[in-house]
Amino acid sequence: MKPTILFLLLVLPLSLVFAQSRLIARQGQVSFFSYTSVENIEATNNQAFSLIDIDKEEIAISMLMRAFVFKKALMREHFNESYIESDIFPKASFEGKIIDFDASLPQSQIKIIKGSITLHGVTKEKEIKTTIENKGGQILLTGKFAMTVADYKIKIPPIVAGNIAKTIEVTFRFQYAPYEK
Amino acid sequence: MKNNRLLLVVFFLLCLLNNTAAQSLLEEVEKEVAHDKVFTQATFKTTILALGQSVQTRSQGTMELSANSRFWNIPQRTQGFLADRMSTRFGASYALSDRLTAGLGITTFDGIFDSYAKYRILKQVEEGKGSPFTITLFQNMSIRTIPNRSINASDGFSDKLSFTTQALIARKFTRNLSLQVSPTFIHRNSTRNPSDDTSHFALGIGGRYRIGGHVSVSSEYYYLANPITSATTFDAFAIGVNWELTDLMLQFHLTNAPNMAEDAFITQTRNNFNTRDGNLFFGFNATFILHFKKE
Repeated sequence: MKPTILFLLLVLPLSLVFAQSRLIARQGQVSFFSYTSVENIEATNNQAFSLIDIDKEEIAISMLMRAFVFKKALMREHFNESYIESDIFPKASFEGKIIDFDASLPQSQIKIIKGSITLHGVTKEKEIKTTIENKGGQILLTGKFAMTVADYKIKIPPIVAGNIAKTIEVTFRFQYAPYEK
Repeated sequence: MKNNRLLLVVFFLLCLLNNTAAQSLLEEVEKEVAHDKVFTQATFKTTILALGQSVQTRSQGTMELSANSRFWNIPQRTQGFLADRMSTRFGASYALSDRLTAGLGITTFDGIFDSYAKYRILKQVEEGKGSPFTITLFQNMSIRTIPNRSINASDGFSDKLSFTTQALIARKFTRNLSLQVSPTFIHRNSTRNPSDDTSHFALGIGGRYRIGGHVSVSSEYYYLANPITSATTFDAFAIGVNWELTDLMLQFHLTNAPNMAEDAFITQTRNNFNTRDGNLFFGFNATFILHFKKE
């Protein structure tokens, strides 16, 4: 009897600690920018979700494509209807590892996140450089990377090819707080 | 022995615990992403289906400038370039709110000046609870400015007015197919022949089918329940292709209706739909969209 209780006493707090090693960002910002000589297209999503597992160094991000806000309402309609097809692929997600992540470091650190982006039903491997800042327990992840539209099978008709850049610049900003279920 | 059994149970419990922990981080995030009510987007891309109005209203601060033209040949051959006759409706509309749009236009050939208001009362919901249809109310008032083409017997201003009221009901069935029915009531303040009705009931049926990311086929038919009796009229029909560019929407169609104001094409279409000169009209609508308010 005794070893069992001892075992339980040892394991239960462990799993509790395990649950607390997670961080959540509920209002992450993800923006993309397409620059061409014809027009600039910019959109921001302020409702991106993310979880970080500190122990496993894992990170996951998911967002609704419909939540992207554009300057022009018609751009949003075209984006959802004709390009990203958000009725079939409502979400974009990212899953990966922050290499050598140390949450306890008080100063800012630059790390590489290695993982895969899923967008428009296509999954691509990606390495993203990120700046991690620790502001009294609140961890802030920011960064910038480029994405090639053609990689994600997004069809752009030749007549509007001049309006949309081949490579889209993506910026992100996630502010994390301890995750409580 | 008893001890061992308990250990086994604990072991299984732990396995279960482990299992829930084994769920990937991404799966857990996916669960968190809010997914409440999702409204159907773009039942139709254009505010005009083919002949008449669609349920679509633009978002607040959006202006539409349109030039809707009809080209046709007359039975007596002339040396007209491309087509013997043409008519254009120059129109402008502005979205006062996401639901309410006001617009006006003037048509060159029949001289009809028309103004309208459109108000969306319901929006179709794709996911979650809500309406299965989008419903928009439409009210038009038009003035016939050319006396000799007028339906009026007298020249009084109020005699030149016509009013069209529509309840536009549409549903996006699949991502490609959207259908609309448009119960219509038309009141004309005067008729050319006193024996003709001044009030008409009509029903519009139309739809679009998307054949590509930016291209769709659209068609519309207006059934008129009580046509005028002093002359033979036919129900208006159109079939065509819509092509959406960035800020520009183009619609190409074939129709038997030369007029573009609602009361005129529903009640005054004099030809049936066939390819004879004078009966077939080639329609070309160009709509340019301007945004005055940033989202």
